[in-house]
Amino acid sequence: MKPGVFLKRTLIVALSALTFLSGPGTARGTIDDALSFALEAAQPAVKEGFTVREEYWGGDLPSAQPKPIAHQLFKGNEYWFWMGTDCKGAKISVHIYDSAGKLAEDEFWQKGQKAAARIKPKRTGTYYLLVEVEKSPDERTVWSLAYGFR
Amino acid sequence: MNERLLCILAGAAVLTGPSLSAAEPAKSIAVPKFPKEAQLVERVLVPVPSEVFAVLDKLGKPNWPEVLRPQKGMAAPSGGKEQISLLLGVVIAEGFVAVEAENAEEVKNIGNSVRSLAKAIGVEKAVSRRANSIVEFAEKRRWADVRRELDLALTDVRQAMIELNSESLAQLVSLGGWLRGTEALATVVTKNFSKDGAELLHQPVLADHFQVRLEAMPEASRKGPLISKIHSALQSIRPLMGAGENAVISEKDAREIGRICADVVAAVNSKAK
Repeated sequence: MKPGVFLKRTLIVALSALTFLSGPGTARGTIDDALSFALEAAQPAVKEGFTVREEYWGGDLPSAQPKPIAHQLFKGNEYWFWMGTDCKGAKISVHIYDSAGKLAEDEFWQKGQKAAARIKPKRTGTYYLLVEVEKSPDERTVWSLAYGFR
Repeated sequence: MNERLLCILAGAAVLTGPSLSAAEPAKSIAVPKFPKEAQLVERVLVPVPSEVFAVLDKLGKPNWPEVLRPQKGMAAPSGGKEQISLLLGVVIAEGFVAVEAENAEEVKNIGNSVRSLAKAIGVEKAVSRRANSIVEFAEKRRWADVRRELDLALTDVRQAMIELNSESLAQLVSLGGWLRGTEALATVVTKNFSKDGAELLHQPVLADHFQVRLEAMPEASRKGPLISKIHSALQSIRPLMGAGENAVISEKDAREIGRICADVVAAVNSKAK
């Protein structure tokens, strides 16, 4: 399955096929399920005034194969990125790099099926969000990444 | 050497830094050197206008009524679906300017225009509730709520279009919003020029993204005069927005970005021949 940006309603249709096709060695669950973990991770920040975007990224990844996502950030805003997976036993991470590839995040955390990173960009421009399934019982693990700003 | 270790070492080839452990992320990465199977997620999530306006709020108090381009009544659908989709994006972006200008009448006009344009491209149902909320909140001068509804109207329209298999039209809604938003931003930045303000125009990933999306459109749409004009405009804007991390956008370049965007926004607003 091609990683990309998914919209909630289309996801349910598009990914129901994935659920039925899941088997040993393939990705299990759906991006919607993974998203629910990401949004759970977002709750404390929402209480602090962060606005969570309705659109989000998602896909599936093999373990230890990080994937970058290019994204526009604006200096003056503060951002949280929350990653989730519904795969029990998986360990995931998200980190933020600037356009030169230097680690740029101000904070990150990782708790099993959830991970997050926060940044107050020093410059406006392109940043790379590096998502990774560090370990997983499955060959490919479905993930989702949401973000919020204030 | 087990398979897991081989995978980690393969990843390490593109990650430089002292550690790859969860506690200590790599200090730097080399995106162009990522192996083919780990190439960039190709889709770009376009920031909602609120993200840009949130920054502008912190920069000071621009003269928004001067930036606002009041409509003469409700925007009427004109041209093909491509032009209407672009116009819908432009109108929603104008809504943000009207909110900043605290012009309730204009915001109400925009709410009604959103409904009318959405109807013309078959997504009225998806935004009807949002359009009503925009008008209702504008009457009560609840600006933060209007902003939120405008953001959500944009998302709902795009979502509804994707459900109708109109992904390319959904992109045009985003593009229309981005063009008017960038024009407004350039106007604000050049009124009281500062390097910090101009830096907000450093959006190369978005200019690239929209160019790619236009190039991927069906040939009949892509070769139409309006889409061709916007494609050329994006090609002109791209170098002005700067490339590297330390790109500095001059006052002259900011003005030029604003002029180019204004020109294409005028074309989107024009009555189709």
